[in-house]
Amino acid sequence: MIEALQDAWDAVAGWIFETLVQPALFAAGLMEWAEDAFDWIGFVMFGGLQVVVVYLICRPLEAWRPVEPREDGRSIRTDILYTMLTRLGLLPLIAFVVFASVQARISGMVAESGWIPPTLEMLFPVLREWPLLALLVYVVVIDFGEYWRHRFQHMFGWWWALHAIHHAQRQMTFWTDDRNHILDDMIGAVWTGGLALLIGVPPGQFPLIVILLRVAEALSHANVRLSFGRVGEWLVVSPRFHRLHHGVLGSGETGKNYAVIFPVWDWIFRTGDFRRDVFPRTGDPELPEDMATGGWLRQQWAGLRRMGAALVKAR
Amino acid sequence: MRLSRRQALSLLPGLALAPRAAGAQGGTTPAASPAGDLVFVLNSGEANILVLDAATREEKRRIPVLREVHHLVMTPDGSTLLVGDSGANEMLFLNPLTGELIKREPLSNPYHLGFSPDGRFLCITSLRRDQVDIYAWDGSALTLVKRHSLPDMPSHLAFRPDGKVVYVTLQGNNLLAAISLEGNFDHLWSMEIGPEPAGVMWNRGKLLVGIMGSDYIAVADPETQAVERRIVTARGAHALFWNLKGDTIYATSRVDSRITTIDPETLTVTRSLKVPGGPDDISFDPQGRLWVTQRWIAKVAVVDFEAGKVESIRAGRSPHGIFYASAQALRAPATN
Repeated sequence: MIEALQDAWDAVAGWIFETLVQPALFAAGLMEWAEDAFDWIGFVMFGGLQVVVVYLICRPLEAWRPVEPREDGRSIRTDILYTMLTRLGLLPLIAFVVFASVQARISGMVAESGWIPPTLEMLFPVLREWPLLALLVYVVVIDFGEYWRHRFQHMFGWWWALHAIHHAQRQMTFWTDDRNHILDDMIGAVWTGGLALLIGVPPGQFPLIVILLRVAEALSHANVRLSFGRVGEWLVVSPRFHRLHHGVLGSGETGKNYAVIFPVWDWIFRTGDFRRDVFPRTGDPELPEDMATGGWLRQQWAGLRRMGAALVKAR
Repeated sequence: MRLSRRQALSLLPGLALAPRAAGAQGGTTPAASPAGDLVFVLNSGEANILVLDAATREEKRRIPVLREVHHLVMTPDGSTLLVGDSGANEMLFLNPLTGELIKREPLSNPYHLGFSPDGRFLCITSLRRDQVDIYAWDGSALTLVKRHSLPDMPSHLAFRPDGKVVYVTLQGNNLLAAISLEGNFDHLWSMEIGPEPAGVMWNRGKLLVGIMGSDYIAVADPETQAVERRIVTARGAHALFWNLKGDTIYATSRVDSRITTIDPETLTVTRSLKVPGGPDDISFDPQGRLWVTQRWIAKVAVVDFEAGKVESIRAGRSPHGIFYASAQALRAPATN
């Protein structure tokens, strides 16, 4: 069964590449990017699968025990657009094009120096024998980095101006997870890329785990009255835990519950709020209406404008 | 018939860099692969090395690697298979008879690699870091003797038979570069060769280069540094391989998904066969069949070129390098 699914997946990826992508690359004189493009197809297909799995899990939950009624369909549709752009590879493609040459230059400089970047497995050889444990360690390290990136998004005025788009949503659903300013996404790519350079990029041979992590992140934004219980709330970020972060008093520097996957960081750095019965309304009344209910372009423009203003003010 | 160590090793595809006679090869009716033979397939897209039993074509094991394995090479004495894990900056040392992992060593971004004909140097390209490294090999350890910064995207390499020069294709700027393996290991020259060059091979004083951005093999004269002719094969011309007899060149084309044979004497195309899924690297079994990675469809093809038969076996995501390890050849005792 699994082999048949794998074969079907490979066949579809091969067909897309050989029929649509490779001839286009050949015609455009870009064959040196053929292998990267093939990887890209896998990324896009996997992104599509993630969207389907997340939908199948989160949508019934939202219908079952919603925190609030779904009244603002337009803003949900905007969030869906964000998800499609992010998960189906368009925004990462732009980031890739922008950063590929920079990354190659940095790699070249690193090579010139003679330094071989270590991987976690080099530092902790035991991880070689336990690839699943290695993946878990990678996830923990990356999540720690994400916690601090999130803290900084709220701490610095110019960065908050961008991140505010994510917090402006008053009709939060599982689609809201990907609602970010494109510049914020790029900073995130550099941040994670830098961390990856330090510890090595984890292998992608555990697609099921990756999907589970993706579901966890999307579920934390879901419009569902759900907590993970006395113990679970301390282990994985729940819809209750993250909704509190999106509450009207959670914006800017006054925020709580910054963790993305593991709440332990909020516990360690004393930013956690573990009350299990609080499901506040989301959004930030101080933010402009464009950010809350505008379309994708208007939100992006508003974020850019506010960031410029914040930078001018800081000078 | 008792084969000398040298003759036996010449049966190994990784060592078949230059043509030489090998009388034990090539029946007209391909038989089953001998028991004990293994096939190593580098699944670049899913971080493992697949080890197939050549006789049964069953999967024997998968060796996990850290990141991204692309190419491999046998040590000059035929005892160890070196596999480069470019993403992990590691070289893996494997026993080709058993698939056992002997050791791993940190090494900067190994992509394509090859030993000089005299076995003294291992040259390694780094596609993503724009570097070509030359390591001295003493039979057991590698020592970096020269690192060339060589933009853009150094891809495949080949040697002059006297071992004094290594040639490298530069995929990103359409060049073919020559590097000395003597003195200061200087970069000797670079020449325009064609759009997105990939595989390169020495043949009778000329260099044959697969032009991936087009449909031909460029024939260059290293003395004059000029392209003398073009052998049209198929779109996406990629890598080049000698058969075990050393009397035929096989060229893969990844866009049109074809393998083309070329007469090394006349440099004319003798035959072309459709092999689906972007055929990439080739290794030969003792029966003369081709074991080919089908890059875009996650399979390995066993190709009986004479009969025009193609049989595919499941491999893994984006299979790239491949090596047929003939147990008989590897166990043959040295006689000189």
